[in-house]
Amino acid sequence: MKRYITTFSKIMKFVIIVLIVDVIFGIVSNHLFFLQKTGKYARANLVIYETEAEVLIFGSSHAHRHYVPEVLEKQLNTTAYNAGAEGQQLLYHLALQKMVLKRKKPNLFILNIDEDFLYSSDIAYDRLNDLHPHYSEYGDDLRPIFKLKSEFVDVEMFFKSYLLNSTIVHILRYYISPQLDYKGYRPLNGTVTNDHITSKLMEVNDQVKEIDENFVLALKEFINNSKSNNVDLVFVISPTLRNINSNNKSLGMINEIADKEEVPILNFLDDKNFKDKLDWFHDPSHLNDTGAKYFTKLVSERIIKEKLNN
Amino acid sequence: MYFNSFDFLIFLPIVFVAYWLFEKRKIRFQNVILLIASYVFYGWWDWRFLSLIGLSTLVDYFVGIRISLCDTDKLKKRWLLVSIFFNLGVLSFFKYCHFFIDSWVDLCNSIGYDIKDVTTLNIILPVGISFYTFQTMSYTIDVYRDKLKPTKDFISFAAFVSFFPQLVAGPIERATHLLPQFLKERKYSKESISYGIKLIIWGFFLKLVLADRTAIYVNSVYNNVEYHDGLSLIFATILFAFQIYGDFAGYSLIAIGTAKLFGFDLMTNFRRPYFSGSIHEFWNRWHISLSTWFRDYLYIPLGGNRVGRYRWFFNLFITFLISGLWHGAKWTFVIWGAINGIYLIIEILCNGKKRKGILNIISTFCFISFAWIFFRANSVNDAFYIINKIFTEPGKLYIGSGDDIAASLYAVLAIFLLVIIEFKREYLQNITIINFFTKKEIGRMFMYATLIYLILYLGVFGHSQFIYFQF
Repeated sequence: MKRYITTFSKIMKFVIIVLIVDVIFGIVSNHLFFLQKTGKYARANLVIYETEAEVLIFGSSHAHRHYVPEVLEKQLNTTAYNAGAEGQQLLYHLALQKMVLKRKKPNLFILNIDEDFLYSSDIAYDRLNDLHPHYSEYGDDLRPIFKLKSEFVDVEMFFKSYLLNSTIVHILRYYISPQLDYKGYRPLNGTVTNDHITSKLMEVNDQVKEIDENFVLALKEFINNSKSNNVDLVFVISPTLRNINSNNKSLGMINEIADKEEVPILNFLDDKNFKDKLDWFHDPSHLNDTGAKYFTKLVSERIIKEKLNN
Repeated sequence: MYFNSFDFLIFLPIVFVAYWLFEKRKIRFQNVILLIASYVFYGWWDWRFLSLIGLSTLVDYFVGIRISLCDTDKLKKRWLLVSIFFNLGVLSFFKYCHFFIDSWVDLCNSIGYDIKDVTTLNIILPVGISFYTFQTMSYTIDVYRDKLKPTKDFISFAAFVSFFPQLVAGPIERATHLLPQFLKERKYSKESISYGIKLIIWGFFLKLVLADRTAIYVNSVYNNVEYHDGLSLIFATILFAFQIYGDFAGYSLIAIGTAKLFGFDLMTNFRRPYFSGSIHEFWNRWHISLSTWFRDYLYIPLGGNRVGRYRWFFNLFITFLISGLWHGAKWTFVIWGAINGIYLIIEILCNGKKRKGILNIISTFCFISFAWIFFRANSVNDAFYIINKIFTEPGKLYIGSGDDIAASLYAVLAIFLLVIIEFKREYLQNITIINFFTKKEIGRMFMYATLIYLILYLGVFGHSQFIYFQF
């Protein structure tokens, strides 16, 4: 019996040392994380803890690169911030929206819709890691979303090291070389080439993709959160040079949900203003700065029109 | 159940406590616990395949007994063939059925017979089938060779076949080494447990930090080879050399460490292979349990090196060719095996088996990495495309953006740490750099706690599985 007790006490000693190391390094990492001034984490921190903007834009890289807050501010005579995040999908936007609404109720949310928003994707779950550092502050809001990824979320989030997983390189990188943005918007320069137009980047293969029910529920929750907090919501589908299938299941379902919930959709997929305007595109699916400014202006005008109609 | 899952984190302590609670009783109780635990562990993936392990266990258990009861060599051989046909039959059906049918269809089409519709079964590959079939075959072959007396203890034998730490990806144990451990009392040793925990922690570092971080860059390049220049393909290939090492050596260490928690010794599977000065030495250090399996049960029975020179080369080549096929039912693996066989033959011709020195280590690493191109490439065409691009279009190095850069930096950091640690183990074994971390218990604990911190801070916690599970 004695040797079992010895082993047990050794294991406990080791566990305590692990926890001490985790807390010490965790405090340092946490401090560094929230000190960031630029980069994707800094932008998310600003959205969650600071911004007072009345218009918030959510979405993936298409949101991040297509909406110029200064143009929106001028057109709509308000304040705006671009909360778009590259590579992120609906679960992330929902989580971010929930955290924002805890502190501030803006006038308008713009959700930029991607054609694959509802298609199943492991990456959409994996990239929720970017919001782990906020778990200690917003655990109640984030838990149901993180639970979709792991049943053991409370155990995982107990460790500071796990909360701040993989953040150090970003912290150091943007400390050494700050990443400029304009109220969350980062312009893309250069124009699309003919090589791009003929490359695989033009293909959108959605034949074998399945709808993920969690993403459908996330979209519905995003709408409900906006409604229950009296925040106007607009869906926008950005222009693209890529060949989007007209029978795209994901877009079809988003249209149905928007119709049912009476959320206006501004669809620029086949907008004639962007047809063959290669000079406005950085690559087949992203606008460059010139294109983004024009697009934001069009979106603003359409929003004003929508408001007048209502 | 994956080692890198929360399920396993809960499963392991439960089995550990239950197992040692029965220490004072008969070892049979412990073996029953291990057997149940192993079936739960394996059934976690797909319970249907438990019947396959069960059947394999039954066949080899009875064949072992039958062989020992036979009076003549001829009869013994017949029973041995029953075991070999059964095990290889199961392996061929589940692993190679599609491969042979597809290859046959391709061959017919290439010589002008137009075959379009071939009905194939939708066969799922049971996890770890290549590992446990080889392990059980080693039992019947060793019984046949009178190296081992067949056990009549069915529970012990079943626990040996399905022993969960090494069931799905090895090390492929020899029955002569592992089975006797199931038949004798296992002593509770805190030193062994402590050592096992250290191996597990280091194994997780290799898997979650080194292998899974490098995998991000490797996958982004190898899955889109047409978009990448030669330089990126070279860098991805070097990273893959470390990825597969971290992945497989990591798994082996977790397996060996877990077995230690239960008082079992498994064989070493890797001994710092990238410090080899020759291909021959590399294969003495890489996946040792498989290399020695092929040596003992294929290469030597073929005549090994105690035959004429050309026959010796043939034996070497065929052994590596089959080893390649063992890894996967794809031509890329067959070519990978063939390349390694050719390397060894050339090395023998050049008398280069025992080379040392930094230049030899680097050149061996380059040759091995070149062969890895076939191992990793998605198809034979891709592999040749990569090689062509490496030699003709060096171009620019792809460094990605945002998360890709971070992943590559973490990967390089992990590789740096691995090289430092393995360098010390290889060349500076008797030198203590910092006494506090090696001599004092609290120092050692602090060191491993920091390693756990690094795993949680830098590791990849997604949907990754071990590469060798697919074999």
